[in-house]
Amino acid sequence: MAKKPKIAFFDFAGCEGDQLQIANLEEALLDLLGHIDIAAFREVHTGDTGGPYDISFVEGSITRPEDEPRVKEIRDKSKLLVALGACASIGGINCMKNHMPESVYREHVYGDKARWYPTYAARPVSAVVKVDAEVHGCPIDRGEFVRIVKELLLGRTPWIADYPVCVECKIAGNICRYDMGRMCLGIVTRAGCNACCITEGAHCWGCRGLAPHANLDAARYAMQDRAGFTREEVQDLLRMYLGFSQATL
Amino acid sequence: MTAYTVSMEHIPPLLELWAKEYDVHVPVRDVDGFVNFSPWRPSAEIAWDYDVAYNSLKRFFLPPREDLLRFDLAASTAEPVMEAPLQLLFGVHPYDVKAINQLDQLMDQGTADVNYRKRREATVLVALTPEHVSDLAFWSSVGADSVDIGFDMYFTRISPSSFYVEVLSPKGEELLLARGELPRSTLPEREAAKRKKAAIRAKADKNGISFPWKQTPKLMSRHWDSPLWRNKARHCLSCGSCVMVCPTCYCFDVREEADLDLKGGRRFREWDGCMLPSFALVAGDHNFRPEARDRYRHRYFRKGKYIFDKIGELGCVGCGRCVNACTTGIANPMAVFNDLWEADNHES
Ligand code: SF4
Ligand code: SF4
Ligand code: SF4
Ligand code: SF4
Ligand code: SF4
Repeated sequence: MAKKPKIAFFDFAGCEGDQLQIANLEEALLDLLGHIDIAAFREVHTGDTGGPYDISFVEGSITRPEDEPRVKEIRDKSKLLVALGACASIGGINCMKNHMPESVYREHVYGDKARWYPTYAARPVSAVVKVDAEVHGCPIDRGEFVRIVKELLLGRTPWIADYPVCVECKIAGNICRYDMGRMCLGIVTRAGCNACCITEGAHCWGCRGLAPHANLDAARYAMQDRAGFTREEVQDLLRMYLGFSQATL
Repeated sequence: MTAYTVSMEHIPPLLELWAKEYDVHVPVRDVDGFVNFSPWRPSAEIAWDYDVAYNSLKRFFLPPREDLLRFDLAASTAEPVMEAPLQLLFGVHPYDVKAINQLDQLMDQGTADVNYRKRREATVLVALTPEHVSDLAFWSSVGADSVDIGFDMYFTRISPSSFYVEVLSPKGEELLLARGELPRSTLPEREAAKRKKAAIRAKADKNGISFPWKQTPKLMSRHWDSPLWRNKARHCLSCGSCVMVCPTCYCFDVREEADLDLKGGRRFREWDGCMLPSFALVAGDHNFRPEARDRYRHRYFRKGKYIFDKIGELGCVGCGRCVNACTTGIANPMAVFNDLWEADNHES
């Protein structure tokens, strides 16, 4: 590599938890820094040395009118644009509001100042500009992030898991939540997190979005008809992260 | 086969002795009642009466993720990686031994899988006659109720305080007698072990495929176009659980990851399976089995025909793990084979 690639981080509607994950990489981050130049990274230092950028990581979803020109400008200045974290890659929890009336969520968030803050249905970055790669998760998996960056630096197409969390859950040797009378979205959610929530004793909430080929009818059959959960329980779980999916939830 | 009679109190000190040399794993029940092979500790309570271990034992020979190579990008060189800890699996049911025997044959076909071989050779298998049969199991109907190769010792409980132990290999004999001579079993003890095995087989016979299992390959050939495949696959999540948990499934994917300095890296394999959509995806975005129906059918053909064509046994030992793992309840080979058999009989 002749010149170090220039990398930048930008955030939209989200909690910056993904950039925090990266800042928390510590050792590995320092090693990575040997290969790259960081132009903008609010979580670590202030300022932006300006574009053009080789790789831009964009965190957060697009949910206000002024977000659109900004993300388009970032796109124009970036060779590669990578969506970072669930809000950016799938819309994430911001999309819960997409299932509520606008007046309700605006008042909930901004109270009597609601009319000063125009927002609309939340969308992933890919709904507005072309996205070259996605780092899934809420928050992202640090190990996966490092691997994806290494693959991008080597000029390879990053490998992204294209099967459901169940695969990694079986690899981990966990007891399936359904065997414990619990619900779990691992059956339709894209893997890549090593089924960490299940391994830690919880269940999958779907934060990495739907796996390609996810069969939602079969999932409803598993959750409602077989496991006996109500339609509302299933809907609540599905809408938590998957709100932007084109499927009827 | 030589057989010794071993008393219950002799076993913990034996395990302790073995654990000095081997990673010893025994069936242990967790707080929720699920049994898994876990590292033996002096305090471990062995689940003698378990019906099926939640996770299959293939992970001891074919770990879910295993490094195969270390490579150096600058020098364009690579070194094989082979890890094979000495391990002893204590209390393996016959159908699971059978599954390992199948893997032994299949992994040796074509280019022998050296990583698998190494781990297998570093393993001592101690079989155990089951005391209970899982409601979902059907092993006695697929020829997996007894096994006469593949293990080093075979324990059968013949009284609350004693076991009839057959030894098959010199290693097994050496390990069993590691704390001194043991009494050879008497004829009545051998009879007691036989009765015990017959009794558990009788229990297992209550659930099973309803026809002689050797007919399955022919049955499958007649049903390539059955409507059953599409009907069932409607509920398929393509989640891969059924093949991940299966003790006889051995498919894997090979990937690579560079080190942080981007100068070298490792090649590793990871469990994969034919129920996952990308399994049959090849260059040019062509997928040999694009639809859930294709993949669903393929798995049963593997279980009921293709493996039989290779080794003369069904690719299913009837452990019932896939039946339990499938959250939509469609992964049951016994149910599928029986449905197809019935369809034939209704037609004729
Ligand atoms: S716990 Fe969830 S992710 Fe794990 S196997 Fe069960 S459904 Fe799949
Ligand atoms: S288990 Fe599910 S909710 Fe948890 S990190 Fe993985 S995809 Fe997200
Ligand atoms: S196909 Fe199912 S029942 Fe048969 S061996 Fe595999 S997991 Fe067990
Ligand atoms: S059934 Fe499928 S996953 Fe299992 S061994 Fe055969 S091809 Fe592989
Ligand atoms: S476990 Fe069931 S739903 Fe999942 S791939 Fe197998 S058959 Fe399909």
